[in-house]
Amino acid sequence: MALSSIFGGASPSQQQTTAVPSAKASNVKDQLKTQIAQELAVANASELVSKVTENCFEKCLISPYSNGEEGCIDQCLAKYMRSWNVVSKAYVARIQQASTSGEI
Amino acid sequence: MSSITQNDLATLDDGSKKEIMTFLEAENSKQKVQMSIHQFTNICFKQCATSVNNGNLSSQEETCLKNCVNRFLDTNIRIVKGLQSIQ
Repeated sequence: MALSSIFGGASPSQQQTTAVPSAKASNVKDQLKTQIAQELAVANASELVSKVTENCFEKCLISPYSNGEEGCIDQCLAKYMRSWNVVSKAYVARIQQASTSGEI
Repeated sequence: MSSITQNDLATLDDGSKKEIMTFLEAENSKQKVQMSIHQFTNICFKQCATSVNNGNLSSQEETCLKNCVNRFLDTNIRIVKGLQSIQ
């Protein structure tokens, strides 16, 4: 799934699974990690798709339906992704601030 | 990708099991943060993105998003404290 790469699904170095008997355990281990990371990436991607669809449907498809909705949806998606990044930075900054001041 | 069988799992030694547990814990907390970001973006986008004229965020919208996240967290902390004091 190409979309999952947004959330780093393909990032854990994918070891080739040609089973050398001695390396079997380490192979299974890596395979397990890759599979978990991939499933999380897919979960994140589908969460994003559903939230963007919900929000951009609300913003762009106001009846009576008119032309120019597709442009609105594309712009809305771009805007949502930028918002995601801003929110992500603000949240991470807050977590870091809280952990340095000993709140958590 | 071929799926992992029960037999495969049985070949894991204690070190590998421990490593997987650590990996799971790390992924778990990362995932919690990710889901919070999804939630906050969903809420704050509704509040802050007033119009979709272009794909960029205006500086007001960006400030609004930052404030929205921080006020949401302030609210969360206040509610937790409030509930603790009732107990």
